[in-house]
Amino acid sequence: MDDARIIISIRGVFKFFRTLRALNNVSLDIRAGEKVVIIGPSGSGKSTLLRAINRLETTDRGEIIVDGKNVNDPRNNINAIRMELGMVFQNFNLFPHKTALQNLIMAPMKLKKIPRDQAKQNAMALLKKVGIEEKADVYPVQLSGGQQQRVAIARALAMNPKIMLFDEPTSALDPEMIGEVLDVMVTLAREGMTMVVVTHEMGFAREVADRVVFMDQGEVVEMGTPRHFFERPEHPRTKKFLSQIL
Amino acid sequence: MAEKKTTIDVGDGAAIPTKHDIGLFSAWWIALIGALGIITYLSVFKPDPYWRILKFLPDGVLVTFQVTILSIILALILGLFTGLGRISKNRAVNLIASTYVEVVRGIPLLVQLFYIYFALGQVFANLPDSNFVFVFLKNMPPLVAAVIAMGFCYGAYMGEVFRAGIQSIDKGQTEAARSLGFNRRQTMFYVILPQAWRTILPPVGNEFIALLKDSSLVSILAVSDILRRGREFASVTFNYFETYTMVALVYLVITLLLSKAVSSMEERLNYYGRR
Repeated sequence: MDDARIIISIRGVFKFFRTLRALNNVSLDIRAGEKVVIIGPSGSGKSTLLRAINRLETTDRGEIIVDGKNVNDPRNNINAIRMELGMVFQNFNLFPHKTALQNLIMAPMKLKKIPRDQAKQNAMALLKKVGIEEKADVYPVQLSGGQQQRVAIARALAMNPKIMLFDEPTSALDPEMIGEVLDVMVTLAREGMTMVVVTHEMGFAREVADRVVFMDQGEVVEMGTPRHFFERPEHPRTKKFLSQIL
Repeated sequence: MAEKKTTIDVGDGAAIPTKHDIGLFSAWWIALIGALGIITYLSVFKPDPYWRILKFLPDGVLVTFQVTILSIILALILGLFTGLGRISKNRAVNLIASTYVEVVRGIPLLVQLFYIYFALGQVFANLPDSNFVFVFLKNMPPLVAAVIAMGFCYGAYMGEVFRAGIQSIDKGQTEAARSLGFNRRQTMFYVILPQAWRTILPPVGNEFIALLKDSSLVSILAVSDILRRGREFASVTFNYFETYTMVALVYLVITLLLSKAVSSMEERLNYYGRR
Protein backbone atom coordinates (compact mmCIF):
# COMPACT_ATOMS: atom_id res chain seq x y z
CA MET A 1 0.00 0.00 0.00
CA ASP A 2 2.75 2.45 0.89
CA ASP A 3 4.30 2.42 -2.55
CA ALA A 4 1.05 3.02 -4.45
CA ARG A 5 1.04 6.47 -6.01
CA ILE A 6 -0.61 9.38 -4.31
CA ILE A 7 -3.88 10.09 -6.14
CA ILE A 8 -5.31 12.84 -3.91
CA SER A 9 -3.01 15.34 -2.31
CA ILE A 10 -4.45 17.93 0.05
CA ARG A 11 -1.88 20.49 1.15
CA GLY A 12 -2.36 23.24 3.69
CA VAL A 13 -6.01 23.86 2.90
CA PHE A 14 -7.95 26.59 4.65
CA LYS A 15 -11.60 27.55 4.29
CA PHE A 16 -13.28 30.36 6.14
CA PHE A 17 -16.97 30.95 6.71
CA ARG A 18 -16.72 34.60 7.76
CA THR A 19 -14.49 34.26 10.85
CA LEU A 20 -15.07 30.55 11.39
CA ARG A 21 -12.29 28.29 10.17
CA ALA A 22 -14.19 25.46 8.52
CA LEU A 23 -10.90 23.98 7.35
CA ASN A 24 -7.78 24.94 9.23
CA ASN A 25 -4.52 23.98 7.56
CA VAL A 26 -5.60 20.50 6.49
CA SER A 27 -3.07 18.26 4.78
CA LEU A 28 -3.76 14.70 3.71
CA ASP A 29 -2.36 12.37 1.05
CA ILE A 30 -4.45 9.51 -0.25
CA ARG A 31 -2.91 6.70 -2.27
CA ALA A 32 -4.54 4.84 -5.12
CA GLY A 33 -6.61 1.95 -3.79
CA GLU A 34 -6.63 3.32 -0.27
CA LYS A 35 -9.80 3.48 1.82
CA VAL A 36 -9.84 6.53 4.04
CA VAL A 37 -12.63 7.03 6.54
CA ILE A 38 -13.07 10.52 7.96
CA ILE A 39 -14.86 10.79 11.29
CA GLY A 40 -15.52 13.59 13.70
CA PRO A 41 -18.27 15.53 15.45
CA SER A 42 -20.74 17.50 13.36
CA GLY A 43 -19.33 20.82 12.29
CA SER A 44 -15.80 19.43 12.35
CA GLY A 45 -15.29 20.18 8.65
CA LYS A 46 -15.24 16.58 7.45
CA SER A 47 -17.99 17.04 4.84
CA THR A 48 -16.51 20.35 3.78
CA LEU A 49 -13.17 18.65 3.19
CA LEU A 50 -14.77 15.86 1.17
CA ARG A 51 -16.75 18.34 -0.94
CA ALA A 52 -13.63 20.41 -1.49
CA ILE A 53 -11.99 17.43 -3.21
CA ASN A 54 -14.38 17.74 -6.18
CA ARG A 55 -14.79 21.50 -5.70
CA LEU A 56 -18.43 21.45 -4.72
CA GLU A 57 -16.91 23.60 -1.98
CA THR A 58 -14.25 26.17 -2.82
CA THR A 59 -11.27 26.67 -0.54
CA ASP A 60 -9.47 29.86 0.41
CA ARG A 61 -5.86 28.73 0.69
CA GLY A 62 -3.75 25.67 -0.01
CA GLU A 63 -4.11 23.21 -2.85
CA ILE A 64 -5.98 20.02 -3.62
CA ILE A 65 -4.47 17.89 -6.35
CA VAL A 66 -6.47 15.01 -7.81
CA ASP A 67 -4.61 12.66 -10.11
CA GLY A 68 -2.01 15.32 -10.83
CA LYS A 69 -4.48 18.15 -11.45
CA ASN A 70 -5.09 21.06 -9.11
CA VAL A 71 -8.88 21.30 -8.77
CA ASN A 72 -8.76 25.03 -8.05
CA ASP A 73 -6.67 25.89 -11.06
CA PRO A 74 -8.96 27.54 -13.62
CA ARG A 75 -6.79 26.16 -16.43
CA ASN A 76 -7.90 22.63 -15.51
CA ASN A 77 -11.33 21.52 -16.68
CA ILE A 78 -13.13 20.85 -13.43
CA ASN A 79 -15.80 18.81 -15.24
CA ALA A 80 -13.16 16.41 -16.55
CA ILE A 81 -11.69 16.08 -13.04
CA ARG A 82 -15.16 15.42 -11.59
CA MET A 83 -15.71 12.56 -14.04
CA GLU A 84 -12.90 10.75 -12.22
CA LEU A 85 -14.52 11.42 -8.84
CA GLY A 86 -17.76 9.58 -8.09
CA MET A 87 -19.79 11.26 -5.36
CA VAL A 88 -22.49 9.78 -3.14
CA PHE A 89 -24.61 12.15 -1.07
CA GLN A 90 -26.42 11.85 2.22
CA ASN A 91 -29.75 12.60 0.54
CA PHE A 92 -29.13 10.40 -2.53
CA ASN A 93 -30.02 13.22 -4.96
CA LEU A 94 -31.26 10.87 -7.63
CA PHE A 95 -32.91 12.62 -10.56
CA PRO A 96 -36.63 12.16 -9.77
CA HIS A 97 -37.76 12.62 -13.38
CA LYS A 98 -35.68 9.63 -14.52
CA THR A 99 -36.01 5.93 -13.80
CA ALA A 100 -33.23 4.11 -11.99
CA LEU A 101 -31.76 2.95 -15.30
CA GLN A 102 -32.05 6.40 -16.87
CA ASN A 103 -30.28 7.87 -13.83
CA LEU A 104 -27.37 5.57 -14.61
CA ILE A 105 -27.08 6.00 -18.36
CA MET A 106 -27.56 9.76 -18.56
CA ALA A 107 -24.04 10.94 -17.71
CA PRO A 108 -22.16 8.21 -19.66
CA MET A 109 -24.28 8.89 -22.76
CA LYS A 110 -24.14 12.69 -22.64
CA LEU A 111 -20.61 13.14 -21.34
CA LYS A 112 -18.72 10.13 -22.65
CA LYS A 113 -20.83 9.66 -25.78
CA ILE A 114 -21.29 5.98 -25.00
CA PRO A 115 -23.98 4.48 -27.26
CA ARG A 116 -27.31 3.82 -25.55
CA ASP A 117 -27.17 0.03 -25.87
CA GLN A 118 -23.75 -0.18 -24.33
CA ALA A 119 -24.61 2.32 -21.61
CA LYS A 120 -27.71 0.29 -20.77
CA GLN A 121 -25.72 -2.92 -20.63
CA ASN A 122 -23.18 -1.35 -18.27
CA ALA A 123 -25.98 0.14 -16.18
CA MET A 124 -27.80 -3.19 -15.84
CA ALA A 125 -24.57 -4.85 -14.72
CA LEU A 126 -24.11 -2.14 -12.08
CA LEU A 127 -27.71 -2.41 -10.90
CA LYS A 128 -27.19 -6.14 -10.57
CA LYS A 129 -24.04 -5.50 -8.59
CA VAL A 130 -25.91 -3.31 -6.10
CA GLY A 131 -28.72 -5.86 -6.02
CA ILE A 132 -31.64 -4.00 -7.58
CA GLU A 133 -31.69 -4.91 -11.23
CA GLU A 134 -35.42 -5.65 -10.96
CA LYS A 135 -36.02 -1.96 -10.13
CA ALA A 136 -34.36 -0.66 -13.31
CA ASP A 137 -37.53 0.88 -14.72
CA VAL A 138 -38.83 2.31 -11.48
CA TYR A 139 -38.78 6.01 -10.55
CA PRO A 140 -36.79 7.00 -7.44
CA VAL A 141 -39.91 8.02 -5.51
CA GLN A 142 -41.06 4.38 -5.62
CA LEU A 143 -37.82 3.13 -4.06
CA SER A 144 -36.92 2.86 -0.38
CA GLY A 145 -34.10 4.99 0.97
CA GLY A 146 -31.67 2.07 0.93
CA GLN A 147 -32.58 1.25 -2.66
CA GLN A 148 -32.24 4.89 -3.71
CA GLN A 149 -28.80 5.10 -2.16
CA ARG A 150 -27.71 1.91 -3.93
CA VAL A 151 -28.91 3.35 -7.24
CA ALA A 152 -26.99 6.54 -6.41
CA ILE A 153 -23.81 4.51 -5.85
CA ALA A 154 -24.38 2.71 -9.14
CA ARG A 155 -24.96 6.06 -10.90
CA ALA A 156 -21.59 7.32 -9.67
CA LEU A 157 -19.92 4.04 -10.70
CA ALA A 158 -21.44 4.27 -14.18
CA MET A 159 -18.93 6.99 -15.02
CA ASN A 160 -16.16 4.54 -14.16
CA PRO A 161 -14.44 6.90 -11.71
CA LYS A 162 -11.00 6.34 -10.22
CA ILE A 163 -12.09 7.53 -6.80
CA MET A 164 -15.38 7.36 -4.90
CA LEU A 165 -16.35 10.02 -2.36
CA PHE A 166 -19.08 9.18 0.17
CA ASP A 167 -20.65 12.00 2.17
CA GLU A 168 -22.44 10.38 5.12
CA PRO A 169 -24.12 7.84 2.82
CA THR A 170 -26.14 6.13 5.55
CA SER A 171 -27.08 9.10 7.73
CA ALA A 172 -30.47 9.67 6.10
CA LEU A 173 -31.44 6.00 6.16
CA ASP A 174 -33.72 4.05 8.47
CA PRO A 175 -31.61 1.69 10.62
CA GLU A 176 -32.78 -1.46 8.85
CA MET A 177 -31.53 -0.14 5.49
CA ILE A 178 -28.03 0.87 6.57
CA GLY A 179 -26.70 -2.67 6.20
CA GLU A 180 -27.63 -3.08 2.53
CA VAL A 181 -25.81 0.14 1.61
CA LEU A 182 -22.74 -0.70 3.69
CA ASP A 183 -22.61 -4.15 2.05
CA VAL A 184 -22.32 -2.51 -1.36
CA MET A 185 -19.58 -0.23 -0.08
CA VAL A 186 -17.67 -3.16 1.43
CA THR A 187 -17.84 -5.02 -1.88
CA LEU A 188 -16.54 -1.96 -3.67
CA ALA A 189 -13.70 -1.64 -1.18
CA ARG A 190 -12.72 -5.30 -1.67
CA GLU A 191 -12.53 -4.69 -5.42
CA GLY A 192 -9.81 -2.14 -4.81
CA MET A 193 -11.66 1.13 -5.38
CA THR A 194 -10.05 4.21 -3.86
CA MET A 195 -12.60 5.47 -1.35
CA VAL A 196 -12.92 8.51 0.87
CA VAL A 197 -15.81 8.06 3.24
CA VAL A 198 -17.29 10.50 5.73
CA THR A 199 -19.42 8.44 8.08
CA HIS A 200 -20.56 7.77 11.61
CA GLU A 201 -20.51 4.00 11.03
CA MET A 202 -17.61 2.91 13.23
CA GLY A 203 -18.11 -0.74 12.33
CA PHE A 204 -17.49 0.12 8.69
CA ALA A 205 -14.41 2.16 9.60
CA ARG A 206 -13.01 -0.69 11.66
CA GLU A 207 -13.64 -3.31 9.00
CA VAL A 208 -12.80 -1.50 5.78
CA ALA A 209 -10.59 1.51 6.41
CA ASP A 210 -6.87 1.47 5.72
CA ARG A 211 -6.71 4.72 7.57
CA VAL A 212 -9.06 6.57 9.86
CA VAL A 213 -8.84 10.36 9.99
CA PHE A 214 -10.30 12.18 12.97
CA MET A 215 -11.26 15.80 12.40
CA ASP A 216 -12.39 18.39 14.91
CA GLN A 217 -12.88 22.15 14.51
CA GLY A 218 -11.60 22.12 10.96
CA GLU A 219 -8.36 20.34 11.79
CA VAL A 220 -7.04 16.85 11.28
CA VAL A 221 -6.44 15.91 14.89
CA GLU A 222 -5.22 12.37 14.50
CA MET A 223 -4.98 9.66 11.90
CA GLY A 224 -3.91 6.06 11.77
CA THR A 225 -4.94 2.50 11.15
CA PRO A 226 -8.29 1.47 12.62
CA ARG A 227 -6.40 -0.65 15.09
CA HIS A 228 -4.33 2.26 16.31
CA PHE A 229 -7.32 4.48 16.20
CA PHE A 230 -9.85 2.48 18.13
CA GLU A 231 -7.48 0.73 20.52
CA ARG A 232 -4.72 3.26 21.29
CA PRO A 233 -5.93 6.75 20.40
CA GLU A 234 -3.38 9.31 21.45
CA HIS A 235 -5.02 12.70 21.34
CA PRO A 236 -7.37 13.68 24.18
CA ARG A 237 -9.97 15.04 21.72
CA THR A 238 -10.01 11.71 19.88
CA LYS A 239 -10.41 9.83 23.14
CA LYS A 240 -13.25 12.11 24.17
CA PHE A 241 -15.03 11.69 20.83
CA LEU A 242 -14.66 7.92 20.84
CA SER A 243 -15.88 7.66 24.41
CA GLN A 244 -19.01 9.57 23.39
CA ILE A 245 -19.93 7.40 20.43
CA LEU A 246 -18.71 3.91 21.30
CA MET B 1 -37.99 42.95 -5.93
CA ALA B 2 -34.98 40.90 -4.92
CA GLU B 3 -36.84 38.62 -2.55
CA LYS B 4 -36.55 34.91 -3.22
CA LYS B 5 -39.73 33.11 -4.06
CA THR B 6 -39.88 29.39 -3.77
CA THR B 7 -43.60 29.07 -4.40
CA ILE B 8 -45.29 30.53 -7.42
CA ASP B 9 -48.29 32.79 -7.06
CA VAL B 10 -51.26 31.75 -9.10
CA GLY B 11 -53.06 34.99 -8.84
CA ASP B 12 -53.69 37.21 -11.79
CA GLY B 13 -55.50 34.97 -14.26
CA ALA B 14 -58.91 33.41 -13.93
CA ALA B 15 -59.64 31.49 -10.75
CA ILE B 16 -58.43 27.95 -11.25
CA PRO B 17 -60.87 25.37 -9.93
CA THR B 18 -59.47 22.82 -7.52
CA LYS B 19 -60.64 19.24 -7.32
CA HIS B 20 -62.77 20.29 -4.39
CA ASP B 21 -64.78 22.72 -6.53
CA ILE B 22 -65.69 20.28 -9.26
CA GLY B 23 -69.11 19.43 -7.92
CA LEU B 24 -72.20 19.95 -10.05
CA PHE B 25 -73.00 23.16 -8.22
CA SER B 26 -69.50 24.60 -8.10
CA ALA B 27 -68.93 28.21 -9.09
CA TRP B 28 -67.18 27.04 -12.25
CA TRP B 29 -70.17 25.05 -13.47
CA ILE B 30 -72.64 27.77 -12.53
CA ALA B 31 -70.63 30.33 -14.47
CA LEU B 32 -70.13 28.10 -17.50
CA ILE B 33 -73.68 26.78 -17.73
CA GLY B 34 -75.02 30.25 -16.99
CA ALA B 35 -72.93 31.86 -19.74
CA LEU B 36 -73.69 29.18 -22.31
CA GLY B 37 -77.36 29.22 -21.30
CA ILE B 38 -77.70 32.96 -21.74
CA ILE B 39 -75.87 32.89 -25.09
CA THR B 40 -78.12 30.07 -26.33
CA TYR B 41 -81.31 31.64 -24.98
CA LEU B 42 -80.59 35.04 -26.52
CA SER B 43 -79.48 33.60 -29.86
CA VAL B 44 -82.56 31.39 -30.16
CA PHE B 45 -85.25 33.69 -28.81
CA LYS B 46 -83.84 37.07 -29.84
CA PRO B 47 -81.81 36.20 -32.95
CA ASP B 48 -81.92 39.84 -33.97
CA PRO B 49 -79.48 41.19 -32.95
CA TYR B 50 -77.95 38.46 -30.73
CA TRP B 51 -77.52 35.70 -33.31
CA ARG B 52 -76.18 38.25 -35.78
CA ILE B 53 -73.66 39.43 -33.18
CA LEU B 54 -72.62 35.87 -32.42
CA LYS B 55 -72.04 35.15 -36.11
CA PHE B 56 -69.96 38.31 -36.38
CA LEU B 57 -67.55 37.46 -33.54
CA PRO B 58 -65.75 34.18 -34.55
CA ASP B 59 -63.27 35.98 -36.83
CA GLY B 60 -62.32 38.00 -33.78
CA VAL B 61 -61.98 34.85 -31.65
CA LEU B 62 -59.44 33.56 -34.15
CA VAL B 63 -57.48 36.81 -34.06
CA THR B 64 -57.58 36.84 -30.26
CA PHE B 65 -56.13 33.34 -30.16
CA GLN B 66 -53.57 34.25 -32.80
CA VAL B 67 -52.37 37.25 -30.80
CA THR B 68 -52.41 35.28 -27.55
CA ILE B 69 -50.52 32.26 -28.85
CA LEU B 70 -47.89 34.24 -30.73
CA SER B 71 -47.42 36.52 -27.71
CA ILE B 72 -47.09 33.64 -25.28
CA ILE B 73 -44.47 31.99 -27.49
CA LEU B 74 -42.46 35.21 -27.55
CA ALA B 75 -43.02 35.64 -23.82
CA LEU B 76 -41.82 32.09 -23.11
CA ILE B 77 -38.62 32.60 -25.06
CA LEU B 78 -37.95 35.97 -23.42
CA GLY B 79 -39.01 34.54 -20.07
CA LEU B 80 -36.59 31.62 -20.26
CA PHE B 81 -33.66 33.91 -20.98
CA THR B 82 -34.81 36.44 -18.40
CA GLY B 83 -35.24 33.75 -15.75
CA LEU B 84 -31.79 32.31 -16.50
CA GLY B 85 -30.38 35.85 -16.53
CA ARG B 86 -31.90 36.61 -13.15
CA ILE B 87 -30.11 33.67 -11.55
CA SER B 88 -26.91 34.15 -13.53
CA LYS B 89 -23.69 34.71 -11.65
CA ASN B 90 -22.58 37.04 -14.44
CA ARG B 91 -23.29 40.49 -13.02
CA ALA B 92 -23.90 42.21 -16.35
CA VAL B 93 -26.35 39.55 -17.55
CA ASN B 94 -28.10 39.59 -14.20
CA LEU B 95 -28.39 43.37 -14.26
CA ILE B 96 -29.80 43.46 -17.79
CA ALA B 97 -32.42 40.84 -16.98
CA SER B 98 -33.39 42.49 -13.70
CA THR B 99 -33.64 45.93 -15.29
CA TYR B 100 -35.86 44.56 -18.04
CA VAL B 101 -38.18 43.07 -15.45
CA GLU B 102 -38.30 46.26 -13.39
CA VAL B 103 -38.94 48.52 -16.37
CA VAL B 104 -41.63 46.36 -17.92
CA ARG B 105 -43.41 45.79 -14.62
CA GLY B 106 -43.47 49.51 -13.97
CA ILE B 107 -45.21 50.52 -17.18
CA PRO B 108 -48.87 49.69 -17.83
CA LEU B 109 -49.42 47.28 -20.71
CA LEU B 110 -51.70 49.76 -22.47
CA VAL B 111 -48.97 52.40 -22.39
CA GLN B 112 -46.46 49.85 -23.75
CA LEU B 113 -48.82 49.07 -26.62
CA PHE B 114 -49.21 52.77 -27.43
CA TYR B 115 -45.48 53.22 -27.16
CA ILE B 116 -44.50 50.45 -29.54
CA TYR B 117 -47.17 51.11 -32.12
CA PHE B 118 -47.61 54.88 -32.06
CA ALA B 119 -44.45 56.33 -30.46
CA LEU B 120 -41.91 54.00 -32.05
CA GLY B 121 -44.13 53.90 -35.14
CA GLN B 122 -43.48 57.60 -35.60
CA VAL B 123 -39.72 57.03 -35.27
CA PHE B 124 -39.81 54.12 -37.70
CA ALA B 125 -41.82 56.15 -40.22
CA ASN B 126 -38.79 58.41 -40.73
CA LEU B 127 -36.38 55.55 -41.45
CA PRO B 128 -34.86 55.35 -44.93
CA ASP B 129 -35.81 52.47 -47.21
CA SER B 130 -32.21 51.28 -47.15
CA ASN B 131 -32.75 47.70 -46.00
CA PHE B 132 -35.55 45.23 -45.47
CA VAL B 133 -35.53 45.59 -41.67
CA PHE B 134 -36.26 49.32 -41.96
CA VAL B 135 -38.91 48.70 -44.58
CA PHE B 136 -40.56 46.12 -42.33
CA LEU B 137 -40.47 48.45 -39.32
CA LYS B 138 -41.95 51.32 -41.33
CA ASN B 139 -44.84 49.15 -42.41
CA MET B 140 -45.19 47.13 -39.24
CA PRO B 141 -48.64 45.54 -39.24
CA PRO B 142 -50.65 46.25 -36.07
CA LEU B 143 -50.74 42.52 -35.29
CA VAL B 144 -46.94 42.35 -35.19
CA ALA B 145 -46.74 45.44 -32.99
CA ALA B 146 -49.36 43.91 -30.70
CA VAL B 147 -47.50 40.61 -30.41
CA ILE B 148 -44.17 42.34 -29.75
CA ALA B 149 -45.68 44.56 -27.05
CA MET B 150 -47.60 41.76 -25.36
CA GLY B 151 -44.70 39.30 -25.61
CA PHE B 152 -42.27 41.88 -24.28
CA CYS B 153 -44.51 42.66 -21.33
CA TYR B 154 -45.39 39.09 -20.44
CA GLY B 155 -41.80 37.96 -20.99
CA ALA B 156 -40.90 39.87 -17.83
CA TYR B 157 -43.61 38.16 -15.81
CA MET B 158 -42.68 34.83 -17.36
CA GLY B 159 -39.07 35.44 -16.37
CA GLU B 160 -40.15 35.55 -12.74
CA VAL B 161 -42.10 32.32 -13.20
CA PHE B 162 -39.06 30.60 -14.72
CA ARG B 163 -36.79 31.96 -12.00
CA ALA B 164 -39.06 30.75 -9.22
CA GLY B 165 -39.49 27.38 -10.93
CA ILE B 166 -35.75 26.88 -11.34
CA GLN B 167 -35.06 27.95 -7.77
CA SER B 168 -37.70 25.54 -6.48
CA ILE B 169 -35.51 22.59 -7.50
CA ASP B 170 -33.42 21.22 -4.63
CA LYS B 171 -29.78 22.32 -4.63
CA GLY B 172 -28.76 18.67 -4.28
CA GLN B 173 -29.89 18.09 -7.87
CA THR B 174 -27.36 20.62 -9.14
CA GLU B 175 -24.66 19.14 -6.94
CA ALA B 176 -25.39 15.61 -8.14
CA ALA B 177 -25.25 16.68 -11.78
CA ARG B 178 -22.12 18.77 -11.35
CA SER B 179 -20.36 15.98 -9.46
CA LEU B 180 -21.03 13.63 -12.38
CA GLY B 181 -19.20 16.08 -14.62
CA PHE B 182 -22.02 18.06 -16.22
CA ASN B 183 -21.22 21.73 -16.73
CA ARG B 184 -23.60 24.51 -15.68
CA ARG B 185 -25.48 24.62 -18.97
CA GLN B 186 -25.86 20.84 -19.25
CA THR B 187 -27.05 20.72 -15.63
CA MET B 188 -29.70 23.34 -16.40
CA PHE B 189 -31.01 21.67 -19.56
CA TYR B 190 -30.71 17.99 -18.63
CA VAL B 191 -31.52 18.09 -14.92
CA ILE B 192 -33.05 21.33 -13.64
CA LEU B 193 -35.41 22.49 -16.41
CA PRO B 194 -36.94 19.02 -17.04
CA GLN B 195 -37.98 19.05 -13.39
CA ALA B 196 -38.80 22.74 -13.14
CA TRP B 197 -41.35 22.70 -15.98
CA ARG B 198 -43.78 20.86 -13.73
CA THR B 199 -43.64 23.79 -11.36
CA ILE B 200 -43.55 26.30 -14.18
CA LEU B 201 -46.37 24.98 -16.36
CA PRO B 202 -49.39 25.75 -14.14
CA PRO B 203 -48.47 29.44 -13.69
CA VAL B 204 -47.63 29.59 -17.39
CA GLY B 205 -51.14 28.33 -18.13
CA ASN B 206 -52.43 31.00 -15.82
CA GLU B 207 -50.38 33.69 -17.54
CA PHE B 208 -51.83 32.42 -20.82
CA ILE B 209 -55.33 33.10 -19.55
CA ALA B 210 -54.32 36.50 -18.22
CA LEU B 211 -52.68 37.28 -21.55
CA LEU B 212 -55.78 36.24 -23.46
CA LYS B 213 -57.83 38.67 -21.43
CA ASP B 214 -55.27 41.45 -21.75
CA SER B 215 -55.18 40.85 -25.50
CA SER B 216 -58.46 42.79 -25.65
CA LEU B 217 -56.23 45.86 -25.25
CA VAL B 218 -54.85 45.34 -28.75
CA SER B 219 -58.22 46.32 -30.18
CA ILE B 220 -57.01 49.91 -29.87
CA LEU B 221 -54.30 49.14 -32.46
CA ALA B 222 -56.94 48.23 -35.05
CA VAL B 223 -56.32 44.52 -34.57
CA SER B 224 -59.66 42.83 -35.21
CA ASP B 225 -59.90 40.73 -32.07
CA ILE B 226 -63.15 39.85 -30.29
CA LEU B 227 -63.54 43.27 -28.69
CA ARG B 228 -62.68 45.13 -31.88
CA ARG B 229 -65.21 43.09 -33.88
CA GLY B 230 -67.80 43.90 -31.24
CA ARG B 231 -66.98 47.59 -31.46
CA GLU B 232 -67.26 47.49 -35.24
CA PHE B 233 -70.68 45.82 -34.99
CA ALA B 234 -71.94 48.18 -32.31
CA SER B 235 -70.76 51.34 -34.04
CA VAL B 236 -72.84 50.42 -37.09
CA THR B 237 -75.94 49.08 -35.38
CA PHE B 238 -75.82 51.16 -32.16
CA ASN B 239 -76.65 47.94 -30.23
CA TYR B 240 -74.03 48.67 -27.56
CA PHE B 241 -75.73 46.79 -24.73
CA GLU B 242 -76.45 43.66 -26.75
CA THR B 243 -73.03 43.57 -28.43
CA TYR B 244 -70.90 44.03 -25.33
CA THR B 245 -73.05 41.53 -23.44
CA MET B 246 -72.19 38.91 -26.05
CA VAL B 247 -68.52 39.97 -26.13
CA ALA B 248 -68.27 39.59 -22.35
CA LEU B 249 -69.99 36.20 -22.41
CA VAL B 250 -67.72 34.89 -25.18
CA TYR B 251 -64.60 35.94 -23.22
CA LEU B 252 -66.06 34.33 -20.12
CA VAL B 253 -66.71 30.99 -21.81
CA ILE B 254 -63.20 30.91 -23.30
CA THR B 255 -61.41 31.71 -20.03
CA LEU B 256 -63.56 29.25 -18.07
CA LEU B 257 -62.71 26.42 -20.46
CA LEU B 258 -59.02 27.34 -20.42
CA SER B 259 -58.88 27.52 -16.64
CA LYS B 260 -60.32 24.02 -16.46
CA ALA B 261 -57.71 22.80 -18.93
CA VAL B 262 -54.97 24.34 -16.79
CA SER B 263 -56.24 22.70 -13.61
CA SER B 264 -56.54 19.23 -15.14
CA MET B 265 -53.05 19.63 -16.58
CA GLU B 266 -51.81 20.50 -13.10
CA GLU B 267 -53.25 17.27 -11.71
CA ARG B 268 -51.71 15.13 -14.42
CA LEU B 269 -48.27 16.58 -13.81
CA ASN B 270 -47.97 14.80 -10.49
CA TYR B 271 -47.60 11.29 -11.80
CA TYR B 272 -44.17 10.60 -10.34
CA GLY B 273 -44.79 12.67 -7.26
CA ARG B 274 -42.56 15.33 -5.82
CA ARG B 275 -39.76 14.94 -3.37
